[in-house]
Amino acid sequence: MKEGTGRGLPPDLITDLYLNLLTEIWEIASALIGEAILSLLFLSAIQKIGERHPFLLSLKVSEEGIGLDRVREEGKKLSPLEVHKGFQGLINQLTHLFSALAEGVINKELFPKVFPKIKEAERIVSLK
Amino acid sequence: MRLIFKNLNILRSTINAISMNFDPKGIVESAGTNLPHLFRFTSFGLLWKEDLVLHLYEEEACPPPFTKKVVENMVTVLSILGRQPIDVGQVKVQIERGGSKPDQAMLPAQAVLKSHLTLPLPVEGEVVGCISLNSREPNAFDVQDLQFFSVIGYQISATLKHCQQLSSIKNIAVYDTLTNLHNRRYFEEKLAIETEKSFFTGTPLSLMMVDIDHFKKVNDTYGHPVGDKLLCHIASLLKSSVRKDDTVARYGGEEFVLILPGASLEVSFRIAERIRDLVEKSDFETGLSHLRLTVSIGISSFPTHRARSKEELVKMADQALYSAKRGGRNQVRIFTP
Repeated sequence: MKEGTGRGLPPDLITDLYLNLLTEIWEIASALIGEAILSLLFLSAIQKIGERHPFLLSLKVSEEGIGLDRVREEGKKLSPLEVHKGFQGLINQLTHLFSALAEGVINKELFPKVFPKIKEAERIVSLK
Repeated sequence: MRLIFKNLNILRSTINAISMNFDPKGIVESAGTNLPHLFRFTSFGLLWKEDLVLHLYEEEACPPPFTKKVVENMVTVLSILGRQPIDVGQVKVQIERGGSKPDQAMLPAQAVLKSHLTLPLPVEGEVVGCISLNSREPNAFDVQDLQFFSVIGYQISATLKHCQQLSSIKNIAVYDTLTNLHNRRYFEEKLAIETEKSFFTGTPLSLMMVDIDHFKKVNDTYGHPVGDKLLCHIASLLKSSVRKDDTVARYGGEEFVLILPGASLEVSFRIAERIRDLVEKSDFETGLSHLRLTVSIGISSFPTHRARSKEELVKMADQALYSAKRGGRNQVRIFTP
């Protein structure tokens, strides 16, 4: 994928796609490991990836779930590619953490949902 | 359906067993006994962040490389989620060996870690440790195992939190909050035990009462915060001047009391002189200037003074202290009938 692709596309499209995906990840993983552990994993991943993609730091996570309003606003200020890269990094980090904890058990449940959405995001971003 | 119900019942009794414990070691022993009814595993571990002790319950013939890999995995998870890198070398491993089960009796010496579930233990948003279920079989755990194990993890977190609260309540009950010395209540209980022991066996027991001279003047001149600081300083001098089995407690105000089991009158006098000398030669910081302080000390000792009760021993030490004060302060006095 070339840098600068996706210009002219509304960033909302990518943001919404990823926010839906994060909500789905939350629902699947919380049923397996509970909200308290999952919120710790999300916070750890956000902190790490937020260093390179600060807009992710506006994601609010607690045991009640993920707060998406502020990140949606922050995402509007960025290009779709930047938003895509940030969320992709976050999801990679989450799957890395899931793997460190439970090897393939969590990821096996998530991958069928996650992969198609990431492919879809890549397709949208690559549209000229 | 029947199988799920059976497993839920086992899960419930495992949780009950875990919640009956008061420390990580007990939790691991209890989990080690109960978890084999729910999972097939080679080892179960609990890494407790506070003291960096890894309590490991594993099969009799578990080879060291297997254990090493388990430790590394758990340290990695705790380092990532505990937001603080931990060196594997810092972790103390305490192994509890479980008996080999019939289907695992032939654990080969080269058995390696093939699969694991490792979960952090969250308490109020902080990671206080992690637990791990490990197997030499590949893909040993499935979704239901993970769900059950996380329920067990939450119970362990709740139990550990409860233990921490109990321990802090216990600390409040026996320690003086200002000086961190034992409080009077603990002193009374400890003295009852030590006098009973000495009266029964005839072994010596000495009691020392220490009072800071002219302390009211210090408080009036420099204020109570400075006075409190000096009390803490004297408390740490006392603690560093006694033997391992001696008890130092704050008796009240600027008065301290020391129980010296096994110490004869001569030994306790030497210790008392050392304390008096140390205080006299110490420089105490007041914030604006340096201050010199002195202490008066009274000693009573069993069997020399023929005390017949702990109350009598305290009264004798108190009288000796009064005599030291009357004699001009900054001195050690032994009880004289």
